Amino acid sequence: MKRFAAVSLICCVLAVMPIPAVHASDPSTDCNIDQGPCSKRAGDREIIFDISPKPVEAMKEITFIVHVVSSDYAPALLLDLSMPGMHMGKNEVLLKKRPDGKYSGTGVIPRCPSGRKLWQAEIDIPAAGKVSYRFNVAF
Amino acid sequence: MSPSDSVYLLMLGSGLLGGFGHCAGMCGPLVATYALNFRTVSDPPARDAMLPHLYYHLGRISTYGTIGGIMGLTGSFAGIVQSIERFQNMTMAAIGLAMIIMGLAASGMLPFRKKKGNGSGPGSAASFLSRMVNRVIQVISEARTPGSFYAIGMATGFIPCGLLYTAYIAAAGAGADAQSRTQGFLTGMSMLLLFGIGTAPSLLLIGRIVALKAEWIRRRLYRIAAFFMIMLGVVFIYRSVVR
Repeated sequence: MKRFAAVSLICCVLAVMPIPAVHASDPSTDCNIDQGPCSKRAGDREIIFDISPKPVEAMKEITFIVHVVSSDYAPALLLDLSMPGMHMGKNEVLLKKRPDGKYSGTGVIPRCPSGRKLWQAEIDIPAAGKVSYRFNVAF
Repeated sequence: MSPSDSVYLLMLGSGLLGGFGHCAGMCGPLVATYALNFRTVSDPPARDAMLPHLYYHLGRISTYGTIGGIMGLTGSFAGIVQSIERFQNMTMAAIGLAMIIMGLAASGMLPFRKKKGNGSGPGSAASFLSRMVNRVIQVISEARTPGSFYAIGMATGFIPCGLLYTAYIAAAGAGADAQSRTQGFLTGMSMLLLFGIGTAPSLLLIGRIVALKAEWIRRRLYRIAAFFMIMLGVVFIYRSVVR
C-alpha cells in the first residue's frame, strides 16, 4: 500500500509538471506571427501572411490577411487551420478579396487543453500551389 | 444533396475521424478507467454491459447538442465560450476530484468506507464529516443507475476539448448564416449531435475492450487503473486551474 501511494505520488508530480513552453524560436515554427507578417513563395509568387490583432491568441476572433504580391487571383481564397500532429477537425476560413487587393477573413483558433500551441495555416493559391505557415498562439 | 446536408455529413465524418484520431488518445484513458471502475463495482451481466456506456455517451452528446444549439442560436463562438469557460474549468476540476476519489476508493486507500464510527461519538463533528465524506465517496465510486451514468456523461461533455471547439466554431458559423434564430439553434444542435454520435464508436470500443478483459487480468489491471484514475484526476485539476 505504501509503495502504491509513493508511486502514485511520483506519477502525480510528473503528470502536473508544466509542459515546456513552445517559443517562436522553436524549430517547428517557421513564422513568428507576433513579430509581424511572414513571407513565403508559392511557385513564382510571393505570399505574405499576417494575423491581427497581436499577440495572436486562441479562442478569440482574429483576422487572417493574405497578400499575393503582384497578382490578381480569384475573388476568394481558402485558409485551412490545423494543428501539426493532432487531429483538430476541419477549421477553414474564407478569405475574401478587399479593395486593396489583399484577402482577409475572420476565424478562431481553438485552445488545446493539452497545452500545445503550434498551429499551421495552409492557403491554396490557384495556379501557384499550397503554401503553409507554422506559428504559435498564446492562450 | 443540399449544402446543409453535406455540412451534417461533414460533422458526422469529423466526429468519426476525430473519435479515432483525437478522442481515443485524449479521452480514451478517461473512458478506460471509468469502464474498469464500473465493471468492478457492479459486475453486470454481459448483455447489459454496454448500457452504462450508452447512457454515458448519451449524456455527453446531450451536452454537445445543447451547447451547439446555443452556438447556432447566437452565431457566436468566442462570446459563448468565454461565458461558459469558468464553468467548464470548474466541471473539469470536479471530474478530476471525482476521479481521484474513485482511484483512491478502488485502491483501498480510503478508510472511510471500511471504518464506521471510528472512535468519534455519533454526534461529533468528526463523525458527521466522516459520514458526509463516506456518502460522497459512495455516490461517486458506486454510481450505477442510468441517471448517474447519464449525469457523468453530461458533466464530461463540458470538458474543454480542442476538437470540440472546432465543431462549435462550425456550429456558430452555420448559425451566423442562418435565416432565423430558430433555424440557427436547430442547425447548431443537429451539427453537434451528429458530431457527438460520430465520436461515440471509438470511445464505445475502448470501453468495451476494457470491460471485456478476463477477470484475472482485470484484477491485475485494476490497481494500475486506480493509479491512472488518480493521475488523470490530478491532471484534470491541474489543467482546470493552470493554462
